[in-house]
Amino acid sequence: MRIMQLQRGNFRLGLVALGAVAIFAATTSYLKKAPRYEIRAELRVALPLFVQVAMTMGDRYLAADVATIQTLVVDTSKMRPDEFAIQAQLQKDVSWLNPGHEDNYYVAAAILSWVGEVDTAQTVLARATHARPYDYQPAFYYGFNQLHFRHDPAGASAWLRQAATNLPDGQDKLQMQNLAAIWLDRTDDLATAILVVEDMAKQAKRPDFKKYLEMRVQRLQTLKVLRDAATTYRQRHDKAPTQLADLVTDKLIPAIPTDPFGFGYDLDTQGNVVLRTRPPVPTQTQIPVRK
Amino acid sequence: MLKSISPFVLSTWRAGLRSRSIQAILVLGVLLMGVAFLSASFSPRQPKTVALDVGLSGIRISLVLFSLFWVQELIGQEIQRRTVLFSLTYPVNRGSYIVGRYLGILGLLTIAALLLGMLLWVVVLTTGGAYEQGFAVAPGLPYWLTVFGLWLDAAVVAAFAMWIASLSTVNILPLALGLAFAVGGKSLGAVLEYMMQGADGDTKIMQLSPVLNTIQWVLPDLSRLDWRIWPMYGKVPDTQVMLGGGIMGASYVVVMLALAIYAFSRREFQ
Repeated sequence: MRIMQLQRGNFRLGLVALGAVAIFAATTSYLKKAPRYEIRAELRVALPLFVQVAMTMGDRYLAADVATIQTLVVDTSKMRPDEFAIQAQLQKDVSWLNPGHEDNYYVAAAILSWVGEVDTAQTVLARATHARPYDYQPAFYYGFNQLHFRHDPAGASAWLRQAATNLPDGQDKLQMQNLAAIWLDRTDDLATAILVVEDMAKQAKRPDFKKYLEMRVQRLQTLKVLRDAATTYRQRHDKAPTQLADLVTDKLIPAIPTDPFGFGYDLDTQGNVVLRTRPPVPTQTQIPVRK
Repeated sequence: MLKSISPFVLSTWRAGLRSRSIQAILVLGVLLMGVAFLSASFSPRQPKTVALDVGLSGIRISLVLFSLFWVQELIGQEIQRRTVLFSLTYPVNRGSYIVGRYLGILGLLTIAALLLGMLLWVVVLTTGGAYEQGFAVAPGLPYWLTVFGLWLDAAVVAAFAMWIASLSTVNILPLALGLAFAVGGKSLGAVLEYMMQGADGDTKIMQLSPVLNTIQWVLPDLSRLDWRIWPMYGKVPDTQVMLGGGIMGASYVVVMLALAIYAFSRREFQ
């Protein structure tokens, strides 16, 4: 009698287990094909990402937060070029772990694009644009980078139109669409660059980061003064200046201005005034860059 | 059935409360919320979102650790110390013991999830001071549904640990394997996604793709139970995918409990 009861119990348990296995298999089969909201076309990621994920008990969001804090605690105004490369890699990792991370795309737009890491900044911003369809800013910064760093007004205008679609109907949307039309006619617009960074500084909550962005504004304003002086020099002499000191000699500026970051200004081969992205004397590489 | 299970559920709750679990939950909760609050202070633009993000991760880690601790304490230790024999003297089958203990642990997990959830929400509300971030976090249903997803995640881990405890003769095994299961299950989504994107052109890693696809039939993809994009970014996840994740988790729990009952019913205690 007891054995029969046991057998009946086992049979019922087996049936329940089989049913559960079937449901588990069916849902797993469905979920294998179901889309993931994070997946985007241009995902490229270094494997050590999974070390980051495993260290946070498999939690990709926490891994993204830890990496973002790493990028936020460094003093960006004292960083070397090789350290910026590490920061770029970290921010790219974060944009894969959590593409919607607002701080990550904001810092990428505020720092990476300005230190020669435009490609990474654009990757971060493109992913943020996809992940945040209600936020116009990542698309706007992408467009700005396209105009200012890549000298691609057509591409910039297209991204600005994308930014406009992320705005609710109204005056802001119209202004954004209008700006998209204006940008089609512009290249290398320094006045716009100053306005964009000034606006970012206004939005910054942390005082040190705000100060950092204000230093960038100051740097751009000085660059604008130097470029205007170089244009006047060209008109006077019918040739480009060969060195910045020519502008002082011609009394167009009182002295060569100092750069708040210490990198300085330079003339390119065509005699245009440009920002140095590295210090005049190369620093020694101490920290290896992950390829 | 309910009559035979209820003594085990009640004894689990009593043991859980007696072991100062609630105090432990509160202490850990306050610590985690402190971490969430501090993390938010690093955020230049979205302090509330970061506090919520880190806090939800903290809740998930806490719930998983609590579930493993309770399985270890209320089943593993009982078997080890042979005190389980007292429970088995009830005129009920051994399956009732497993189901009762599991439901008891679910009850304790519910209390922990509610307490930690409320604590986190207070932290989120007080984070950032007067600063108003551009995109607000979503309270109410999106938030509590996310906490429910994390609770379900811990419930799946607890069921797996129950199965291990039902057949293990090594005391630490449910905790160790349970932890590995929790990390593996949660990482699975990220790894599969990476593979689906071509593993960055790395052919050696791509060779592991069939293995990982097979693993998915044994190890549940726990990342499917993480719906935090909803309260964090107001992005509503696909209802069908959410439901699929929930059903997958629940069915896995049933499979694990069936295995645990089977192993425990055949186990000989000397």
